[in-house]
Amino acid sequence: MSSMSLDKIRNIGITAHIDAGKTTTTERILYYTGVSHKIGEVHDGNTTTDYMEQERERGITITSAAVTCEWQNHRINIIDTPGHIDFNIEVNRSLRVLDGAIFIIEGVAGVQPQSETNWRLADRYNVPRIIFINKLDRTGADFYRAFATLKEKLDIVALPLQLPIGIEDQFLGVVDLVEMKAIIWEGGELGAKYHYEDIPEDLKAAAAEHRQTLLDTAVSVDEKAMEEYFENGDVTIETLKRCIKRGTIDGDFRPVLCGTAFKNKGVQPLLDAVIDYLPSPIDVPGIAVALDEGVDESEHPERRRIKADPKAPFAGLAFKIINDKFGTLTFVRVYAGTLKSGDTVMNTTKDHRERIGRMFQMHADKREAITEVEAGDIAAFVGLKDTGTGDTLASADRPVILERMAFPVPVIDISVEPRTKEAVEKMTLGLQKLAGEDPSLRLRTDQETGQTILSGMGELHLEIIIDRLRREYAVDCNIGAPQVAYRETISKSHTETYTHKKQTGGSGQYAEVKVIFEPMERNGGVVFENKVVGGSVPREYIPAVEKGIKVQADTGVLAGFPTVDFKYTLVDGKYHDVDSSALAFEIAAKACFRAGMKNAGPIILEPIMDVEVTTPNDHVGDVVGDLNRRRGQIQNQESSGSTVIVRAHVPLKEMFGYISHLRSMTKGRASFTMQFHHYDPVPRNIADEIMAKSA
Amino acid sequence: MGIGSRLNWMRGRQEEGAGVTPRTLEWIGLNDAGEPIARVVRVQGPLLTGWRRFSAVARDAEAKVVDLRPSEPPDGAGWLACLGGQVVGRAALPLQAVRAVEARLGQP
Repeated sequence: MSSMSLDKIRNIGITAHIDAGKTTTTERILYYTGVSHKIGEVHDGNTTTDYMEQERERGITITSAAVTCEWQNHRINIIDTPGHIDFNIEVNRSLRVLDGAIFIIEGVAGVQPQSETNWRLADRYNVPRIIFINKLDRTGADFYRAFATLKEKLDIVALPLQLPIGIEDQFLGVVDLVEMKAIIWEGGELGAKYHYEDIPEDLKAAAAEHRQTLLDTAVSVDEKAMEEYFENGDVTIETLKRCIKRGTIDGDFRPVLCGTAFKNKGVQPLLDAVIDYLPSPIDVPGIAVALDEGVDESEHPERRRIKADPKAPFAGLAFKIINDKFGTLTFVRVYAGTLKSGDTVMNTTKDHRERIGRMFQMHADKREAITEVEAGDIAAFVGLKDTGTGDTLASADRPVILERMAFPVPVIDISVEPRTKEAVEKMTLGLQKLAGEDPSLRLRTDQETGQTILSGMGELHLEIIIDRLRREYAVDCNIGAPQVAYRETISKSHTETYTHKKQTGGSGQYAEVKVIFEPMERNGGVVFENKVVGGSVPREYIPAVEKGIKVQADTGVLAGFPTVDFKYTLVDGKYHDVDSSALAFEIAAKACFRAGMKNAGPIILEPIMDVEVTTPNDHVGDVVGDLNRRRGQIQNQESSGSTVIVRAHVPLKEMFGYISHLRSMTKGRASFTMQFHHYDPVPRNIADEIMAKSA
Repeated sequence: MGIGSRLNWMRGRQEEGAGVTPRTLEWIGLNDAGEPIARVVRVQGPLLTGWRRFSAVARDAEAKVVDLRPSEPPDGAGWLACLGGQVVGRAALPLQAVRAVEARLGQP
């Protein structure tokens, strides 16, 4: 696909808090770059990137859409991501494969919770980013206040490259601190026309001061540029841009631009900044190769990295899967090599071969057939047999596995059952496909009730899944009330020995296992270790012990919730030459788990949410009192003009239906966001309630 | 006014060591006679001596005299502006420290 040299490609994402203007900005970008001939609006439901029916109906982005455009003879592949926390997985996997990102910050509220969450994710993947302070036309917008929240909440060195000219409905344009000129947008033609002029008199002093800061900060990252500065008392614009790019890629500082996408001002300089300051695939260090299981990452800071090179052996990462009427589309970011339709590659994660059929370059829901992809490209492959999100596709000559992706923990369960018996198969197939697309969605069958349980990131997430099941797979379901995804764990170590013995006539069963159960830190998972010596449990039966406990751990001993964060070590056992079998050891392991857990101080864990309520001053007392009644722990309160932001940790169980209560309590003037924070043990009385319900 | 109009600045010592990307540790300000009269020095560290952690600053051009500072630089102000043997300011960025030296030179 790449007819352009790699240095002219930008793979970027646009991300922010919900409603900060990501999709609106993307629409302007597509218009100014000539991809679309009219501007779609979120509130009209006709945007290019929000192409799903639900996205258009609800006015939110649900999936990350990929679009491609050209600007100044460069190709920009853009991924527009959702802002709602329930769809965080989309942001996660997009950031994982991008070389750079635009972070949009709202000009009124500044940095909001989801901006913080996405920022931390981008930190995890070392994504170079530029910041766009948007909505400066809004009442209450304040560039400098929004700018201050960057330092306060993200603790970064933010570097303004522009200052606003006017604010709110008087917002006219920006001062470009690199060129030291004013850019003024003209009315009409949807913001496509703008001109340069001298900096307005009243902004000259502020512009000079900020230019000095820009020079000091940017030039300091490049010692040659410093010498040029000492020599000439200034640097050329070319040198300054080079320094800003280097500082942006290394994360020394984060450039800040501003405007209002909705009023069509500020988007073209943002595109220039993408070209000038965000990296091409060859400007970044390359993707790391995965460490072997159990190897500590901190011990290997310099892991082998694969640099973008079309002539190298092929390596790509499948980062997204969607199913539509034409089949399964697998989105792949190509890191190295070149691949043609008809080639065969290895899925090195699952160790099997995949034949490459048709390939497409995606423009939201439209596609353009291509016959070749190479390093730096993002493309969709059709017809891969068994490739999931996070899998590596690589050349058989050099079968590397790329760094794995981390997925968030689902916190809400619902039970689903089809309305008719005939639809059971269709529902299972549909849910399996949806779960294949979305790694933050888990599917399991309750062993006791036989119900299908869907686990997701929030009520909205699961609601959309059920809606998609109805629209795309024509399955109507009855759904249970959302349930908290409780977990069980243990609080102390215990050693349990269990003997499974059935030797009365015919072929018998005999197995004895001695297992140490130990608690692990939160998110430690379930870890198995084999410490059997002297063959007291024959090697061929050890996988059966491991499997038995892992399977049984899905049903905890207190209330049937999955048991997590513990280690089990097989230390001893006994076998019988004739009566022992893998099945006997599996049965023994399951029973050993049930008995052992009861003596290892079992406890129930509940998800605790990080809740942020934005309320007018006069309702703060009501909001705080109500959060306390919901077992919330207030973390802090912060005034911002006439509103107060209350942050608290509240158990998810207490947050169901909170939005309607909050609205009635504050006459609809308060809003809130929440996201998963951690798991905590539930108080005794609540644990008793949960156990009584499950009995 | 360009910075170079008051002092002529040149690179001083470079960081050394295996696996280290060479960074400039100090910038030296020369007067019109070519005499070094000012220095802008990077605070290095943390260094471990025995069981204590220090930040360190070379107080002379050859780094024969090293000043150990027990705390991390406040607000990331990792550059010291020195005029003669005296510290006249500190800053997060070398150019800001250079400006501090220039400003001090301009004072009566």
